[in-house]
Amino acid sequence: MILGKIIAVHSYKGGTGKTLLSVNLAATFAKHGKNVCLFDLDFRAPSLSTVLKIEKAEHWLNDYLNGTCEIDKVLIDLSDKIQNKGKLFVALANPATEAIRDMSAKDRKWEMRALGRLLALRNSLLNDKGFYYLVFDTSPGLQYSSINAIVSADLVLVATTLDRSDVDGTKRMIRELYDLFEKKTDIILNKVLHNVISKSEREKVQVETKDIYNAPFLGIIPCYCDVLKAEGNIIFAQEKPEHPFAKILDEIARKVDNNIA
Amino acid sequence: MYRRKTHWGTKVAKQEVLGKKPLIILEKIRENLEKLNEKMEVMIELQKHGRKDTQPLPEAPLDVMTLLSMPDHLRKTAMTVCRFGRATAEEIAQQTHRARAVESAYLNQLVIMNYLKKERKGRKAYFYIDRESQG
Repeated sequence: MILGKIIAVHSYKGGTGKTLLSVNLAATFAKHGKNVCLFDLDFRAPSLSTVLKIEKAEHWLNDYLNGTCEIDKVLIDLSDKIQNKGKLFVALANPATEAIRDMSAKDRKWEMRALGRLLALRNSLLNDKGFYYLVFDTSPGLQYSSINAIVSADLVLVATTLDRSDVDGTKRMIRELYDLFEKKTDIILNKVLHNVISKSEREKVQVETKDIYNAPFLGIIPCYCDVLKAEGNIIFAQEKPEHPFAKILDEIARKVDNNIA
Repeated sequence: MYRRKTHWGTKVAKQEVLGKKPLIILEKIRENLEKLNEKMEVMIELQKHGRKDTQPLPEAPLDVMTLLSMPDHLRKTAMTVCRFGRATAEEIAQQTHRARAVESAYLNQLVIMNYLKKERKGRKAYFYIDRESQG
């Protein structure tokens, strides 16, 4: 029996491309024939409802974590929108201001129960429903919701940039967060400028990144104008599979398959 | 073979009776030693914390920030209980690859710190996080 895995996409700073990576990675896995469920765990700045153009949801992930509904009620099947070999579901965070305020005011006991509910997804979705991957799109930095996601995950994909403060913060997080929880961690260097696109430059950056973080390195993603121009309206892995960005995601997805097995 | 009539009237081989009795006695001794060991661990922990009384500490939620601030050896045990939800020291030891007695000591320490609850069922002691009753 193949047991599914949980992947948390995290970063130290905001704006590193976690959501873009999460959505495209989930779509890539589905393209490869795997049943995937994508979770918006960024309760302070929910964005998957906008990216996936879902205006209304009957139930939100907030409700599941509050214990007012089961996870089945939260999951939205995207199979008719995004047609792949595998199924793609999504669990959305409520983007209403009131909901964001409510989630920001939770106490430690609530967070402890929320962790229990995230851990329970392993049974309810991976074991019982047979999902192959759960992809957690998290909030940046050290916050309850993101640490809960990291603790529940089998693999943490860390999106980082060459920005100095991001590099320093990511280094600290590897040492003082992922390592303490004994989490398997892979680095993705995102938004790299085009002057390092040549093969030799890329290899140089790759070696440097490995040295800096002392953690496995999954890939470099250049800063593509097309991705910026799309303004979050296009899922490249689905709509532009021939685009270099989608090709890199394809490669990263295959590496994840190998690393996590 | 020598046979005797028992008080309920069935003939039982003396050897069988003699063969089982020492086992039962040894099992009882083991059980009592385990209980004694647990009590000693509790006493040692209380001494470490400088507490003379056995008053429980205030309720402490085992959230991720608490996990982060724990010493490494306890975090490993606590995280494994988090994943299992409910487990014996034996089950935790299988996951952490540490000795059962070591895990038993750490689990009891976490019980004293009020992060875990403990429940006996027959000869087995189960450790769990009481997520629902708190708050």
